[in-house]
Amino acid sequence: MKRSIFSLMLLATMCAGPASAQNSSATIIQNATVLTITHGTIEHGSILIQNGKIAAVGADLKVPEGATVIDASGQFVMPGIIDCHSHIAVDGSVNEGAPAVSSMVNIGDVLNPEDVNIYRDLAGGVTAANILHGSANPIGGQTIVIKLRWGKPANELPFEGAPPGIKFALGENPKHSNFGPPPGVAPRYPATRMGVEEVIRQAFTEAREYKKHWDDYNQRKAAGEQPLMPPRRDEKLEPLVEVLEGKRYVHAHCYRADEILMLLGVAKEFGFKVRTFQHVLEGYKIAGEIAASGAGASTFSDWWAYKMEAYDAIPYNAALMAERGVIVSVNSDSAEEARHLNQEAAKSIKFGGLSPNDALKLITLNPAIQLGIENRAGSIDVGKDADLVIYNHDPLSVYAVVQKTLIDGQVYFDRQRDLARRSELEKEKQALLEKEKKAAEAEKKPEEKPAKKPEPKKKPPKTMGEGDGSRDAAGAQ
Amino acid sequence: MTIRWTRLHICLALIAVCAFLLLGWACRIYAQGGEPRYFAITNARIVPVSGPPIESGTVVIAKGLIQAVGSNVAIPPEAWVIDGKGLTVYPGFIDAGTDLGLAKPEGTDEAAARARGRQPAAPPPPAEISIGREDRPATTPWRVAADEIKIDDKRIESWRNAGFTTTLTSPDTGFFPGQGSVIDLAGDRSGEMVVKPAATLPISFKPRASFFLFPGSLMGSIAYVRQVFDDASWYSEAQPVYDANPSKFERPAYDRTQETIHHTRERDELVLLPANTSIQILRALRLADEWKIRAALLGGQEGYALAEAIAAKKTPVLVNLKWPERAKDSDPEQEQPLRELRFRDRAPSTPAALAKAGVKFGFYSGGLEEPKEIFKSMRKAIDAGLAPDAALRAFTLDAADILGVSGRLGSIQPGKIANLVIADGDLWNEKTKVRHVFVDGRWFEVHEPPPEEKPEEKKPERTAGSGSGIGGGGL
Amino acid sequence: MTLAPRSGARNTIWAVVALSVFSGLRVPPLRAQTTPGVYAITNAKIYTLAGPPIEKGIVIIRDGKIAAVGTNVEIPEGARIVQAAGMELYPGLFDPVTQIGLTEIGAVSATNDTNELGKFNPEIVAATAVNPASAHIGVTRASGITHVVSVPGIASFDSQSGGIIPGQASAFHLLGWTMDEMQIRRSIALTLNWPSIQTRTFDFSIFDFKEKPYADAKKEYEQSVNELGDLLDRARHYAQAKEKGSPASYERDLKLEALVPVVEGKLPVLVVAAKARDIRNAVEFCTKQGLKMILADGAEAWKVEELLKEKAIPVILGPSEQLPDEDDDPYDKPMTLPAELNAAGIPIAFSSFGTSFSRRLSQYAGTAVAFGLPHDEALKAITVNAAKMLGLGDQFGTIEAGKVANLLLTDGDPLEIRTQVRLLFINGQQTSTDNRHLDLYGEYRKRPAAPQQ
Repeated sequence: MKRSIFSLMLLATMCAGPASAQNSSATIIQNATVLTITHGTIEHGSILIQNGKIAAVGADLKVPEGATVIDASGQFVMPGIIDCHSHIAVDGSVNEGAPAVSSMVNIGDVLNPEDVNIYRDLAGGVTAANILHGSANPIGGQTIVIKLRWGKPANELPFEGAPPGIKFALGENPKHSNFGPPPGVAPRYPATRMGVEEVIRQAFTEAREYKKHWDDYNQRKAAGEQPLMPPRRDEKLEPLVEVLEGKRYVHAHCYRADEILMLLGVAKEFGFKVRTFQHVLEGYKIAGEIAASGAGASTFSDWWAYKMEAYDAIPYNAALMAERGVIVSVNSDSAEEARHLNQEAAKSIKFGGLSPNDALKLITLNPAIQLGIENRAGSIDVGKDADLVIYNHDPLSVYAVVQKTLIDGQVYFDRQRDLARRSELEKEKQALLEKEKKAAEAEKKPEEKPAKKPEPKKKPPKTMGEGDGSRDAAGAQ
Repeated sequence: MTIRWTRLHICLALIAVCAFLLLGWACRIYAQGGEPRYFAITNARIVPVSGPPIESGTVVIAKGLIQAVGSNVAIPPEAWVIDGKGLTVYPGFIDAGTDLGLAKPEGTDEAAARARGRQPAAPPPPAEISIGREDRPATTPWRVAADEIKIDDKRIESWRNAGFTTTLTSPDTGFFPGQGSVIDLAGDRSGEMVVKPAATLPISFKPRASFFLFPGSLMGSIAYVRQVFDDASWYSEAQPVYDANPSKFERPAYDRTQETIHHTRERDELVLLPANTSIQILRALRLADEWKIRAALLGGQEGYALAEAIAAKKTPVLVNLKWPERAKDSDPEQEQPLRELRFRDRAPSTPAALAKAGVKFGFYSGGLEEPKEIFKSMRKAIDAGLAPDAALRAFTLDAADILGVSGRLGSIQPGKIANLVIADGDLWNEKTKVRHVFVDGRWFEVHEPPPEEKPEEKKPERTAGSGSGIGGGGL
Repeated sequence: MTLAPRSGARNTIWAVVALSVFSGLRVPPLRAQTTPGVYAITNAKIYTLAGPPIEKGIVIIRDGKIAAVGTNVEIPEGARIVQAAGMELYPGLFDPVTQIGLTEIGAVSATNDTNELGKFNPEIVAATAVNPASAHIGVTRASGITHVVSVPGIASFDSQSGGIIPGQASAFHLLGWTMDEMQIRRSIALTLNWPSIQTRTFDFSIFDFKEKPYADAKKEYEQSVNELGDLLDRARHYAQAKEKGSPASYERDLKLEALVPVVEGKLPVLVVAAKARDIRNAVEFCTKQGLKMILADGAEAWKVEELLKEKAIPVILGPSEQLPDEDDDPYDKPMTLPAELNAAGIPIAFSSFGTSFSRRLSQYAGTAVAFGLPHDEALKAITVNAAKMLGLGDQFGTIEAGKVANLLLTDGDPLEIRTQVRLLFINGQQTSTDNRHLDLYGEYRKRPAAPQQ
C-alpha cells in the first residue's frame, strides 16, 4: 500500500517536473530591437518573462532551462499600446443619454469579452484600453481600464489595481446639439455650454451634501446615538463623492479651450482634479493652463472638422501640448483607429517634431501615467507586466505589422497562428452551415421543398478570422 | 280528506328520505358540479419520479390529492376506475415560464416595440425622464399574476391536453413586471387555479425602446435595478426607525416599489434573472452575489459553456426551450457568424451539460406557440445527450423544487396534489399520445381531434375550460 | 535617439529645410503666388512612375505642363530653379473619391452640399457647389494631394449616402481662386449608389436600428432597380429623339440629357457598392445597360474577383484602414484586399471617400504595402491608376513631358508617415503648403508660455 502510494507520488512529481519548468511561465524574446521607452533602445536585445512579469531586459540574456523561446530576429519589441479612449468590449449602448447625469451607470457591469474588436485591436498592438461611457451627458457613467485578454471571461478583463474612472463630457455632445429627441419627447437640459457647467456644479453640490449627510450619520452612529434615520445610498452620487475624495479619475471629453478652462474652474471650486482631458482638440491653445493643472491630455492624431468644435483642431496638437509640459497621449475612440495607433503616434514626428521616443510615449508610458498604471505598464522595465508587442518593422513606420501581442507574458495574438487557423475555422463554419441546411430540409414536408436552389458561392472566402462578438450600438464621440 | 299515515306510508316516506339522502350523499362524491372525486388508475405503468418506476400499479386519487400509489393498492369502492393497461402515468408537467392566462399588455413602449417585425409601431409616447429614485419607469413589482388570470385563455386547454398540469405564469413587461404565480391548469374560477400566488420575482434588463428614455441602455437598466435594491434595503432599515419614532423624523415618502421588494426579500422569494448567453449568465451570477438575492437563471441556453460555474454557485436554471435558430425572414445571403452557428448548434446540449455538472434545472416554453413544439425541443435536448429520466425530472419534480412547490407537486406520491399525465407510451416518443390528464384531481380525457373537425371537447359532464361538472354548474 | 539607420540623415535634412523655411526662405504663400512661369527642379530623385527612377534628375515646367524630364536636360533662361538635392519628386497624389469643397463641417448642415433631395439627380454637378475657399483644400494639399474628384452623395465619415444617382462627380486641382481656374473636368463620372437590400437601417427619429423582413427589403430593392432601368431607357429614347428628330419634336429634359453620355458609354459611372451581392448585381446591370462601370468601395470585391476580371471592372477602393464587415472576416481583410486584387490583375486605386481624412491617402497606400502590395503598385494606385480609369491618363499621374505639372517634392518615401512634403506644383505653379492648421499652429506657438492664473 505504502509502496504504491510512494510510486504514485513519484510519478506525480515526475509528471510535474517538466511541467513545472513550463509552469514557471518563463518565456524569452530574443534578438529583437527592444524599444524600452524609459532607457533607450537595445539592439539585439532580449526580454525574459517570468510569471507574467518582465524579469530581465538586456543584450545578452541567458536562456533559462525549459523557457519558451520567441525568436524575434530582425523584429522590434515595444511595450503594449495603451488606448486611453475606447468603447470596445461593451454590451449594448455606450451611452445612457437620457438623464443629464448618469454616474450611477457602470461600464464594468456590461463588459463583453466576446467583442471581436478586442481581437482586432490586439492585432493592432493594443494590450490595455480605457473603456469609457459615451459623451451624451455632462456627467456620464463609471469607466474601467481593461487588458485585452481575448478568450477570457468578463471578470478577467479588468486591469487589476487600475483606479476607477468616470466620464464627463463638455460641448456639443452633452447638450445634444447635433441630434434631437423624436416628436413627443421633451428635449433634455442642458442645451448650452452654460447649462453643461451648471449640471456639473449642481451634481457636485449634491454630492457634497450627500457626503456631509453620511459623514454626520456615521459619526453619530459611532457615538452610539439613537434613534438614527439612515441616509439612502444614492448610486448616482457615490461615484461623485469618490471624485471629491480623489479616489476616482475624471476623464473629461472636451473640445473648445474655453470649456476646458471652465471645467478646471469647477474642479478648483469643488476641490477635485481632472485626470485627463479627452479629445481636447483645442488643448494647444491653452497648453500652459493644462500643464499647470496637472491634468493629462488624450487626443486624436489628426481628426478635425466633423463638428463645429473640431474645426480648429490641428495635427500639431499633441506635439505643442507636449512641448509645454502636458502629459499627452494619442487615442483612438474607435475600434478601427486602435489598430494602427503606432502610425498615429508617428504623425507627431511629422506634425510638430516630436522625437521618435516621445512619439512612442504617446501610446505607451504617457497613457499608463494618465491611467495610474505606470508601475505595471507603459515601458519595458524589470518588474512591469509583460505586456509587449512585436513588430516586423520599426513601429513608427507605416510598414510595421504586428506579429505578436503578449499580455501578462502570454501570447494573445500571433499573426502566423491567425493565418494558419483560417482554413480550419472556415471548415468548421461550412460544416455547421451544412448541418443546419440539412436539418432545415429534413423538417420541410416533401411537397414543400424549396424550388430555388440556394445561391452558389462565387468563391469560397480564402481566409477567416476569429469570430466572436456582438454588435455594439453606435456611440457618440 | 285526511291522509292517514299508515305504516306503509311511513316506510315509503322513510325510504324516500333515505333514497334522497343517499342520492344527496352520492352527489357529494362528485366535485362541485358533480364530478367524480375518487379515481383509481389501474394496471398502468407508473413513473413517480421520486422513486423507481412501477411496471404495473395503481394510483388512487381522492378529493384532489393522491391517496395511494403502488403495485398492490386497495381501490376504494367509490373510485371511478380507469383501466391503465398499456398506459403510463407521469406526474403532470410543469412549464416554468409562460404568460398563460394573462392578457397581452397594452400601451407601453416595450409592447409597441415588441410588435411583429421588431419594428416600433410609432414613436414612443412622451415620457418623463427619470431624475431620481422616485421615478419608476416600467416598474410594477406588486402585480401578482394570480390576480390577473383569465380562465378563458385557450392556451390553458391546449397546454393541458399536452400533459402540462402546472405553469409558472408571470407578467413580462418592464424591469420589475410583477410576481409570477404557480397555477394549475384547471378551475372554474381563476382563484381555484392558483397553487402559489407569489412564487417568483422576475427582473428584466431590457432597456427602454428609445435612447431618450431612462434607462435607455443595458448598463442603465442594471444601474436602475441596483438602485431599486438599494432603496428596498434602505426601507428595511429606515421604515422601522420611523415607525418607532414618528415624532423625531420627517416622514419617508411612500414608495410602493421599495416596499414590495423589501417584502419579497423578507420572504426570500426566488428572483429570476435574465441569463441566456454566457456573458449574461456570468453577469447574473455576479449580480446575484452583489445584491444578495436568491436567484435562478432564466434562459440558460449557453449554459453548456459554463455548467461548472453555475454549479459552483448552486444556482438553478430555467432553460428556455425555444432553441436559437436562424430568423425565418432573414436575408439568405446574410453572413452567419461562427459564434452564432456554434451557439445554435450546441444550445440543445445545455440540459445534458447542466445535468452532468449537477445543476438543478427546469424548462419553460419561452415563446413556443404550441406544446408539440415544446416536445420537439425536448427531443432535441435528449438527442444531444440529456438522459430521458433527467428530462422528465426537469419537467416535474425539479421544476417544482425550484419554484418552491415540491412539497405539493412534481411527483406521484401520496399526499401530493393529483396532477397526472396518462399517455399511451413513452413520453419522449413522437408517436405517444396523451390520453388523460388530472389537474387537482379533476379528470380530463384527451381525445384525438378528427382531421376535419375542431378538437372535440370532453364529454359534456366534464367540459374542459370551465371544468364544470354534471348539470353544467355548481351545486 | 535613432531607431533606424536612415532617420539620422532624414533628421538632418529636415533640420536644414526647417531652418531655411523658418529663416524666411519661404515659398510664396497662396494669396501672393506668382503667375505660372518656368521652373527647373534640379538634383532630385525623380520617380516618374513611367520607368525606373532617375537619380539627380531635372524637370522643366512651363505653362502648366511638364516640358522635359531627364538627367541631361537644358535649363531654360530665366527659369526659377528649385534645388532639390536629397529630395524625391513624385507625381502629385490624386484622391479620386472625396467630398472636398462640398462639405466643411459634417455636423453643421449649412456647410454641407453633398446630398441633394431625391433619388435621381443625374444633372447636378459637384463643381457647382465646391467652395474654393474651403479650408480642406489647403490642409489636404499640404499632404501632397494635388488634385481630387469630389463626388456628391456618397457615404463617408462626414455624410450619409444620398440618392441612387446623387449627381456628377467633378475633377479639379487643389489650387485656384475660382472653380474655373481649378477645374480639370467638370463632369468626370456619374455617381451611382447601388441600391442595397437593407434589412437593418438606423432610424434617427428613434435613434436606434429598425429591422425589416427580407422579403420586403427585396421588393423595395427591385423597385429601385426597375426605376433606374426605366430612367436609363428614357434617356436612350431621348438621345435618339435628340439625334434623329428635330429640336421641335422633343422637350428639353435636363435630367435625361445628362444621362445621354452615360447610356452611350462615354461618361463612366462610379458605382458605389461594397457587399458581394451588390457588386454582382451592379455588374450585371451595368453590363446589360452598356454602362462603363468603375467600382467604388468594393469592400467585398475579393468574393467576386473572377467576375470583376472577366468584365474588366476597375476598382477604386475606400480606405484600407477600415474594419472588416463581418465578424468572421480575417482581421486584415481590408488591408490585404489591394494586394489580392492587384495580384489577380484587377486595376485598383485608393481613395479616402471623405474630406477631413483625405490627407491619409498615402497612409492607406502604405498600409496596403505593409500587407503585401508592391510598393510601386501602391504609388501608382495613388497617382496614375485612377487617372487612367477616369480618362485623365494622358494628362496626369506620371512625370512625363506633356503631362500637367502636378508634382510633389518630399524628403523621403511619400508613403511613410513621417515624410514631409517640401514643395508642391499644381497646374505648373509652385504652391505653398500653408494651410489652416499650420496657421493655427504658428499662431498659438506665439502665445507666451506662462499660463495666466
